[in-house]
Amino acid sequence: MRYVVGYSANARGHDAVNLAVSLALGRGASLDLVLVVPEVQQSGHALAPKAGFENLLTEQAQEWLDQALALVPSSVPAQAHIRSHDSDAHALIEAAEELGADMLIIGATSTGLFKRFTIGSVASALLHASPVPVALAPHGYHRQEALTRISCGLGTRAGAEKLLEFALGMAANRDVPLRVVSLLALDGDAADSADAAREYAAKCLADALAAGGPAVPGEAKAEVPGEAKTEAQVEAKTEIVVAHGRSIEEAVDRLDWEDGEVLLIGSSRLAKGRSIFLGSTAGRILRALPVPMIVVPSDYELKHLNHSASSDTPREAQQ
Amino acid sequence: MSADHAMSKPSQTGQQTGQHTGSQTEQQHGLSEKGLKAGSVGLIGAVVIGISCIAPAYTLTAALGPTVAEVGVQLPAIFLVGFVPMLLVAFGYRELNNAMPDAGTSFTWASRAFGPWIGWMGGWGLIAATIIVLSNLAAVAVDFFYLMLAQIFGNPELADLTTNLPLNIATTLVFIALACWISYRGMETTKTVQYVLVGFQLLVLAWFSVSAFSHVANGTAFDATAISPDWFNPFAVGSFSAFAAGVSLSIFIYWGWDVTLTMNEETKNPEKTPGRAATITVLVIVIIYMTVALATLSYAGVGDTGLGAGNPENQGSIFAVLAGPVMGPFAILMSLAILSSSAASLQSTFVSPARTLLSMGHYRALPQKFGRISPTYKSPSYATIASAVAAAAFYVITRTTSENALWDTITALGMMICFYYGITALACVWFFRAEAFSGARAFFFKFLAPLLGGVILLVMFVKTAYDSMDPAYGSGSSIGGVGLVFILGMGVILLGVVLMLVMAKLRPEFFRGQVLTRGH
Repeated sequence: MRYVVGYSANARGHDAVNLAVSLALGRGASLDLVLVVPEVQQSGHALAPKAGFENLLTEQAQEWLDQALALVPSSVPAQAHIRSHDSDAHALIEAAEELGADMLIIGATSTGLFKRFTIGSVASALLHASPVPVALAPHGYHRQEALTRISCGLGTRAGAEKLLEFALGMAANRDVPLRVVSLLALDGDAADSADAAREYAAKCLADALAAGGPAVPGEAKAEVPGEAKTEAQVEAKTEIVVAHGRSIEEAVDRLDWEDGEVLLIGSSRLAKGRSIFLGSTAGRILRALPVPMIVVPSDYELKHLNHSASSDTPREAQQ
Repeated sequence: MSADHAMSKPSQTGQQTGQHTGSQTEQQHGLSEKGLKAGSVGLIGAVVIGISCIAPAYTLTAALGPTVAEVGVQLPAIFLVGFVPMLLVAFGYRELNNAMPDAGTSFTWASRAFGPWIGWMGGWGLIAATIIVLSNLAAVAVDFFYLMLAQIFGNPELADLTTNLPLNIATTLVFIALACWISYRGMETTKTVQYVLVGFQLLVLAWFSVSAFSHVANGTAFDATAISPDWFNPFAVGSFSAFAAGVSLSIFIYWGWDVTLTMNEETKNPEKTPGRAATITVLVIVIIYMTVALATLSYAGVGDTGLGAGNPENQGSIFAVLAGPVMGPFAILMSLAILSSSAASLQSTFVSPARTLLSMGHYRALPQKFGRISPTYKSPSYATIASAVAAAAFYVITRTTSENALWDTITALGMMICFYYGITALACVWFFRAEAFSGARAFFFKFLAPLLGGVILLVMFVKTAYDSMDPAYGSGSSIGGVGLVFILGMGVILLGVVLMLVMAKLRPEFFRGQVLTRGH
């Protein structure tokens, strides 16, 4: 497995490298650190020829990448790449496609003063266009150990099974528990809605287990699952949690989050084809979330599973 | 081979993929190999880039008045003659750029040819010239900003706001800060915007000329003056002083044209495109300059009253005065054209001193922090901000000491361009001295052309500097009985000398010739 890491020589880039190491450790994945430098144009002034500046820029970029590689522990194989492109997001997606990467990892921002996630322009552009899952490291993410738990945010709309299959596969492959999370923003009738949500989540989970369980290709291409872990074992390590608050943010705050946890979330209905679009609810979850978030494109599994039902796409995590 | 490169080269880059590993050729050149890209610029694109670097609407409004003040009706002649040294120097510039492509341009080349001291001053001249033009661009943009507000709201009083000193300075500083911020963020004008801006400028200038000529034909011109062949005769200029001043100003109007010659790698056909683009660009520019110059002279004459092109009141920005009477209600298009082109130039010109400062910081000719590149935006960070601060300071000083800041800055700018272009051209001659007589092509492009161009420019520089000591020079501002243009020009150069000596104390490696070595 290969993960492409969008690196820049600032706090955001460090967050991304740390998260990439955490994700790679559980899976034996290798990292490709990609630093995007702008294409120097000659459109500026006559006295600013591009050639020399490109050299200085490249030299500096290599120095930065050396520092980045030094952040990666020796147990994780890593390579560094310099890409030259005017759009960071484009360059990262191109790199991910070219290298056959399974995930793109970036730092979401470095300027979230009050909120942990304030999506930067690169992250936001990626979330609109990436064909592979995008992992967003929150500001100041410094953990470099394997994940300890995986959460999967579930909406009440139909079609969450695909996301759950992906989450089950990921949890099984890493041998960590899975927590299915339903986040509700409620005013009054909390108990009923919570029950309905829990019921729905349980049903989805059962469907997902039946459909493929741990043998989910998205995360498990290289694995030989099934024999090793029975469905029962996986099921035993899975819990369902319903959190509610007056707002989604409050619901997120009320949940307990482990340091080594990530939240998986499906992309919005608005996403076109195999690309990600972060819905408004997911965006709000992101702002309140203390742990990394992985946004999975709507039909990411379908390309492996060959399902025919096109209406069966996962949707954003919450209504 | 520079010691600096050896040190900053990555020692362990993992498996660096990507196309940027050109360290082999470094051994021979002392300069890093450029990361080449497949050509993407066609002929029209190259011409557009050339014209947009010149920014004719801005250039004309800034330079036409001061040049008329020097040479009167011989304006067309001087505009034509001024192109010759520009062309000669540009040949040398191209040779140097091909042999040693580097962000430091004049600084690096003069250092390699003449050693660190002259090299440092060459770089300083380039930086000073671009800093001065930044402050002038911002000031012109501000003038037309208020003029356009007046035209939009039909309230002429708004246009006068620009003469309110504190307000003018504040607005100019805001413009400089905005352009600096955009440049710091690494944003560049897109191709489409560039095409639109260039097309719009040419259209409006043509419109202006046609309107002016039809006023002349209808007898409604301010001071209808019949075009005479004498206008094209450079020898009819009254004195050598006026001639020298005129030429150094017309160097400014072609400044930027040389970009077309240096665009080798990025053009689709590197053999032919740069040469053709340079030729077409200069034809377009000369035609536009001639037409506008003739139109202006025929319409307004060179009288020193009212709308006359010789009126000191009109020198700073001729179109601000003439566009209204000539174009009527459509004068707002002229304001828009000049505002947009000077604002775009302001932003793109920031790149130039920033990259030169970056390069000087990199070669340890300036404190290390000038060599910083922003990790987030990948643009020269410290150098860009330093340029903005310098441009702002220069503007505040000129504005508060001069009666006509725009006029005096343009004159000082012409002088500064002559200074560093002259050094650059002679650097070419000296650097290639061993191959100068190896063939006809080398003799002309590496020796004769830059030698002639360099000598002409340095003569113009010395003559203009000498004349500008006269307190009546330029707009007639003076301090302590010495002309302000001289104080500005020489002050900037002296400041460079002082800073150079300080740097030589602080970071002697560069000045011992240990970073950039002389010769091949």
